[in-house]
Amino acid sequence: MNTINNSQHDHQEPRIGVYICRCGGNISDVVDVDRVAEVSRHIPGVVVAKVHTFCCSDPGQNTISQDIQAEKLDRVVVASCSPFLHELTFRGAVQRGGLNPYLYEHANIREQGSWAHKHDPAGATAKSIRMIAAAVGKLQYSTPLDQIRLPNHRKALVIGGGIAGMKVAADLAGRGIPVLLVESSGRLGGRLNQWNRVFPTDTPAGQLVTKLLAQLDANPLVEILLNCKVTAVKGFVGSFQVTIEGPLGPSGAMTSTQTTIGAIVMATGFRPYVPDDGEFLYRKDPGVITMPEFIDLMRGQQTGAGELVYKGRTIRSIAFLHCVGSRQIDGVHTPRADGKINTYCSRVCCTTTLQQALAAKERFPSLQVYDLHQDIRTYGRGHEDYYVRAGKAGVVFFRYHGDEIPRVELANGKHPGEPSLHITFKDYLTWGEELTLDVDMLVLAVGLMAGDIPDLINMFKLPVGEDRFIQEIHPKLRPVEISVNGVLLAGTVQGPMNIEETLNAAGAAAVKASAMFLKDVVELNPYVAQVDADLCQGSGSCVTQCEYDGAIAMVETQVNGKSVRQARVNPGLCVGCGACVAVCPTRAINLNGWRLDQYDAMVDGLTADIPAVAAATS
Amino acid sequence: MIAMEKQIHTDVLVVGGGIAGIQSALDMADQGFKVIIVERQSSIGGQMIALSKVFPTLDCASCITTPKMSAAAHHPNIQLMVNTEVNQIETVGAGQRITVTRKATYVDPEKCIGCRLCEYACEIEYHDPFELGLGAIRAIAIPFTNAIPQKAVLNPDYCTTCGLCARACPTDAIDYAQEPQTFTVHAGTVIVASGFALNSLNVKPQYNAAQSKNVISPLTMERLLAPHAPYGRVLRPSDGKIPSSVAFVQCAGSRDETIGVPYCSRVCCMYAIKQAMLLSGALPMADITIYYMDIRAFGKGYEQFYQNARAMGINFVRGKVARIESAPNDDMLLHVELTEEAADPCRQQRHDLVVLAQGMLPQWNVSEHSSLQRGSDGFVASPDVTNPSATNLPGIFSAGTASGPKDIVDTITESGASAMAARRYLHQQKGSKNPDIPTDTAAVHLVQRGEGEIHDDQAVQAGL
Ligand SMILES: Cc1cc2nc3c(=O)[nH]c(=O)nc-3n(C[C@H](O)[C@H](O)[C@H](O)COP(=O)(O)OP(=O)(O)OC[C@H]3O[C@@H](n4cnc5c(N)ncnc54)[C@H](O)[C@@H]3O)c2cc1C
Ligand SMILES: Cc1cc2nc3c(=O)[nH]c(=O)nc-3n(C[C@H](O)[C@H](O)[C@H](O)COP(=O)(O)OP(=O)(O)OC[C@H]3O[C@@H](n4cnc5c(N)ncnc54)[C@H](O)[C@@H]3O)c2cc1C
Ligand code: SF4
Ligand code: SF4
Repeated sequence: MNTINNSQHDHQEPRIGVYICRCGGNISDVVDVDRVAEVSRHIPGVVVAKVHTFCCSDPGQNTISQDIQAEKLDRVVVASCSPFLHELTFRGAVQRGGLNPYLYEHANIREQGSWAHKHDPAGATAKSIRMIAAAVGKLQYSTPLDQIRLPNHRKALVIGGGIAGMKVAADLAGRGIPVLLVESSGRLGGRLNQWNRVFPTDTPAGQLVTKLLAQLDANPLVEILLNCKVTAVKGFVGSFQVTIEGPLGPSGAMTSTQTTIGAIVMATGFRPYVPDDGEFLYRKDPGVITMPEFIDLMRGQQTGAGELVYKGRTIRSIAFLHCVGSRQIDGVHTPRADGKINTYCSRVCCTTTLQQALAAKERFPSLQVYDLHQDIRTYGRGHEDYYVRAGKAGVVFFRYHGDEIPRVELANGKHPGEPSLHITFKDYLTWGEELTLDVDMLVLAVGLMAGDIPDLINMFKLPVGEDRFIQEIHPKLRPVEISVNGVLLAGTVQGPMNIEETLNAAGAAAVKASAMFLKDVVELNPYVAQVDADLCQGSGSCVTQCEYDGAIAMVETQVNGKSVRQARVNPGLCVGCGACVAVCPTRAINLNGWRLDQYDAMVDGLTADIPAVAAATS
Repeated sequence: MIAMEKQIHTDVLVVGGGIAGIQSALDMADQGFKVIIVERQSSIGGQMIALSKVFPTLDCASCITTPKMSAAAHHPNIQLMVNTEVNQIETVGAGQRITVTRKATYVDPEKCIGCRLCEYACEIEYHDPFELGLGAIRAIAIPFTNAIPQKAVLNPDYCTTCGLCARACPTDAIDYAQEPQTFTVHAGTVIVASGFALNSLNVKPQYNAAQSKNVISPLTMERLLAPHAPYGRVLRPSDGKIPSSVAFVQCAGSRDETIGVPYCSRVCCMYAIKQAMLLSGALPMADITIYYMDIRAFGKGYEQFYQNARAMGINFVRGKVARIESAPNDDMLLHVELTEEAADPCRQQRHDLVVLAQGMLPQWNVSEHSSLQRGSDGFVASPDVTNPSATNLPGIFSAGTASGPKDIVDTITESGASAMAARRYLHQQKGSKNPDIPTDTAAVHLVQRGEGEIHDDQAVQAGL
C-alpha cells in the first residue's frame, strides 16, 4: 500500500483539476462535497479541486475550460453522475479548454456514491474520495488519444418496407442519400395493407402507402428489393458489407448480392398477438375473431344489406374485448413459450377498438355493440373523439379488472343453429357486479408483439428488451439509437406505436443517418486493443478468446528480416471489451485508454492510505 | 431606433427553446445548417428544465436537459436569441421572413460575464418565477442555476433603480435605459416549437382552487420534488406543514367539453404517478391517492411503471371528484363519485394537499402571428398524414407540444422528424434563385449577408 501525503509538486508533474458536482443535491445531500474537494487538493498531481452545483451546466463547464487555461491544467477529473450521461459533455468542455479530450476521467460518485449509500454519508464521502484518487491515479498514465477515423460509404440500408421503412427511405433519398430498401414480402406498406380506414383521420390506409410509394418511385436514389432478406453482415459503421438474398419463395432462383453500406435502419415492424387455441374460445368457435380479422370482415361490408353476416351467422350483437395479449399479469395469465408474459400496453388497440366499434355501429345501426375494457386509452390527438362518439352512438361500455379475466362459454342462442357466446365478468362501472352478456360475435382487440427476427438480432447483436422489442440506448434522450454503432431503429420494431408515431420515429432515425453522412468519415472512440509488436509472440490466444468476428487476427509480418505471426486489431470491429488483454501470456495487448498500468494506478488510488480519508470516515 | 432595424440571415429559425426546439435545432445543425433559436424566456430549456425527475426512467430532469441545452449553446451552427419573442412569420417567395423583438433586460448581454455580483448587491426580492413563487429572487439576477445563457436580467417591475447593481458590476453591463429591439430574420425554413401552457387552476370553479393555497398545480409539485427544490423538502404552501395526505385529481382540466378541452392531455396520468412515487419516497408516512377516470399509461415501459406504483401502495381510486370544499386547518374535503364501490358510491375524503391535473393548451396562438392553421384543439394543424410535422404552409414545420400534448420522448422523436422534413424541404429548394434559400452545402456553410446585418459571431457574443 502506498501512502499519499502532501507532497510538493514540481513543474514536470501533471497538473490535474478535480471538479466535484453537487448535482443539485442528488450528490451533496449525502456526500460532503466540500470535504471531498478539500481532501482531493492533497492528492499528488491535483492543483485545483472545486465544487459546482451542476458541473454539466454552462457555468460548470465554463469553469473547467477556463481553469485549463488559467491554471495550466493538463488533465481533468469530474466527479459527478454516471459517465453514461455526461462523459461526452465533459470531454467537450475539456476540448474547448484546449486539451486532448481523452486526458479526462469521470468518477461516478452519484450512482456509485450518494445513491448507493444514502444512509451512510461518511462512507459515501470516503468512497467518493477514493474514486477520485483512483481517477487521478489513472490520469497520471493517460496519453492523448485520437478518434479512429474510418471511411463512410454514402449509402443507407433500410430493412423492412412498412411505413416506417418507406418513410426513412423517402426522407434520406429526398435529401440526396442513396437508399437500399429491403422488404421480405412481395409488397411495400407492411401492416397498413391489412387495415381499412385508419385513425385518427379515417383516411384509407392504402392512400398513405400510395403517397409514400409515389415519393419512392419518383426518386432515382431509391433501390427497392422485394422478397429479399439480409442474410449476412460484416464490417462496422461507415462500411458494413451486407449480403442480401432473394427473391425468396418458390417464384425464382435465389441470388445473393453484396453491397457496402454506411448506416442501417431497422424497420421490421411488429406482429399482432395471436391468441392461443381456446383463449376466449378463439379457434374453437367461429364467432370469436381478432381485430385484424374483424377489420378484414368490415372491408367486405362497405355496401350491401343492412345486416352483418359472418360464416353463415347473422351477427346482431358484438362485444369488443380490450387488452388481449397486453397488460398481462404474473400468475394470472399463461406465459408464452419463452416463459414471458406481455406486461406492456400495446398503445394502439384502444383507439382501434373504438374506431371499429363506432364504424360497425354506424354501418349497421341495429347492431348491439359492447365494449369491455380496463382503461380507455384514447390519449392521442383526435383519439378521444372516437370514445365520445362511440358513446353517443350507443356503444355500451363495461370495465373489468386485469386480474379478473372475463370468461367466455358457448350457449344456445335465441336462433336455432346459431349458438351465442356467453361472457361472464365483473363490471366496475356498476360497482363490481357480476354481469353476463350473450353476443353473436366477440372481437379480441389483440396487442402488438415484437417481430420475429432472431436472424437479424443475432447478425447485428441487437439489444432486446424485456418486452422482446429492440431496446433503444436511452428512452428519453436517444430514442432511435441502439448500442450498435451505425444501426438505427424506426417504428414498431422498437415497441407499439401508431402510424403518426411510427412516421415520427422514422423521421428521427432518418435525421440521425442524414447527419452521419455529413462527413465522408466516421469517427469512433479510440478505446480499442493495441498490440505491442515488441512483445507479441504470436500465441494466438487473443484470437481464440475474441467474440467479435474479425476484430483481431493473426497476420504474417516481418520482424528484423524474419517472418513472424503476430496479432493485429481491426479498430472498426474491436469493441474494446478487453478479453484479449486478459489472456495474452506476454502482456503484449493493451486497451487504449484502459491500459494495465492505468488499472494498477487506479487500484493504488483506491487503496491508498490517504490520511484524510480516515478522518472523513470517523 | 426603428431606423436601426437589423436584418439577420439564417437557414433555420426555431420558435421556442424548449426541449423540442433544442432537439430540432441540434438535428438541423448536425446536418450542417445554420440555426437560430428564438426563446422568449431568459434561458432555453422550456418546461422540461423545471421538472423534478422524468417518467418512466426517473432520471433527474436537470441532469438530462442541461447537456442538451449546453450542446445547443456550444454548437458552432446554433445561435441563441433569448429574451426574444417571435411576433410575425411571413412567407416571402420560398423563404420565411420573421420579425422578432428582444425585450429590454437592462443588462448588456455582450458585457455581462455572469459573475452575479449585481445579484448579490441587489436588495429587492420578489417571488421567483422559476420556482413558481415558492422561493425568492433578486430584482436583478441570473434566472436559475443552470440557465443558459448565464446572463443577468433585471425585472423592471421590482427594480427601484437604486444603482447598487450598476455599482457592483465589474464590466459596466447594467443599462437602465436599454430599449427593446426589433430584428428581421430571413430564414430558409421555420420550425415552430412554441410548446404548451396549462389551463387555469380555476377552470373548474367547483374545485375552489382560488380559495385554497393548498390546491396546487402539478408544476408546483414538480418544483417541490426537484432535487434542488426551493425548500429542500415537500412542504405545503399555506403553512409549511409536511403534508400527510395528498390527493391527485386527474383530468381536472381535460376531457371535458364544457371547459373547451375535450381532448386528453396525455401526460398527466403519468406525471401524477411519477409525483406520487417521488412523494412516497420523500414522505414515507403520507397517504397518497390518485383519483382518475382511466389511467393512460400507454408508452414504452409506462404500464410497468404504473403497476410498480400500485405495488408501492399508492391508492388508485376510480371516480370523479365532483367538488372540493375548504375544511378546517387549511385542509380540503373532496366529494368523490366512486364507480368501483357499491356500498358507498359518494365518498367524502379529507386531504391536506391537492394537485389538479390541469389541461394542456398551446402556449402560442400561431394564427395570430402567421398564416398557420390550427386544429380544432388550437394546436398547430398537421394536415399531411404521411408527414406529421408538416403544417399547412410549405417551409414551416412543427415540433413537440406546439402540435398537441406529448411527453418528452414523443417530443424528441417528433423534433427529429421535423428537422428531417425541414432538411428535405431545403434540399428541394436547392437551385432556387431565391436569396432567402441558402445553398445546400452541407458541411461547408454559406450564410447570405446583407448590408447592416449583424455578424453571426457578434450575435452569439451579444447573447442574442
Ligand atoms: C389491429 C390494428 C389496427 C391498427 N390500426 C391503426 C390505425 O387505424 N391508425 C394508426 O395510426 N395505427 C394503427 N395501427 C398501428 C399500425 O399498424 C402501425 O403503427 C404500423 O403498421 C407500423 O409500421 P411499421 O413500418 O413500423 O411496421 P409494419 O407495418 O409491421 O411493417 C414492417 C415491414 O417489415 C417487413 N419485414 C419484417 N421482417 C423483415 C425482414 N427480416 N427483412 C425484411 N423485411 C422485413 C414486413 O414484411 C413489413 O412489410 C394498427 C395496429 C393494429 C394491430
Ligand atoms: C407537471 C408536468 C410534468 C411533466 N413530467 C413529464 C415527465 O416526467 N416525463 C415526460 O416525458 N414528460 C413530462 N411532461 C411533459 C413535458 O413537459 C413536455 O413533453 C415537454 O416539456 C414539451 O417540450 P416543448 O419543447 O414542446 O414545450 P415547452 O417546454 O413548453 O417549450 C416551448 C418554448 O417555446 C417558447 N416560446 C413560446 N412561444 C414563443 C414565441 N412566440 N417566441 C419565442 N419563444 C416562444 C416558450 O417560452 C418555451 O420555452 C410533464 C408536463 C407537465 C405539465
Ligand atoms: S391500448 Fe387499450 S386495449 Fe391496448 S393494451 Fe393498452 S389499454 Fe389495453
Ligand atoms: S392523461 Fe390522464 S389525467 Fe390527463 S387528461 Fe388524459 S386521462 Fe386525464
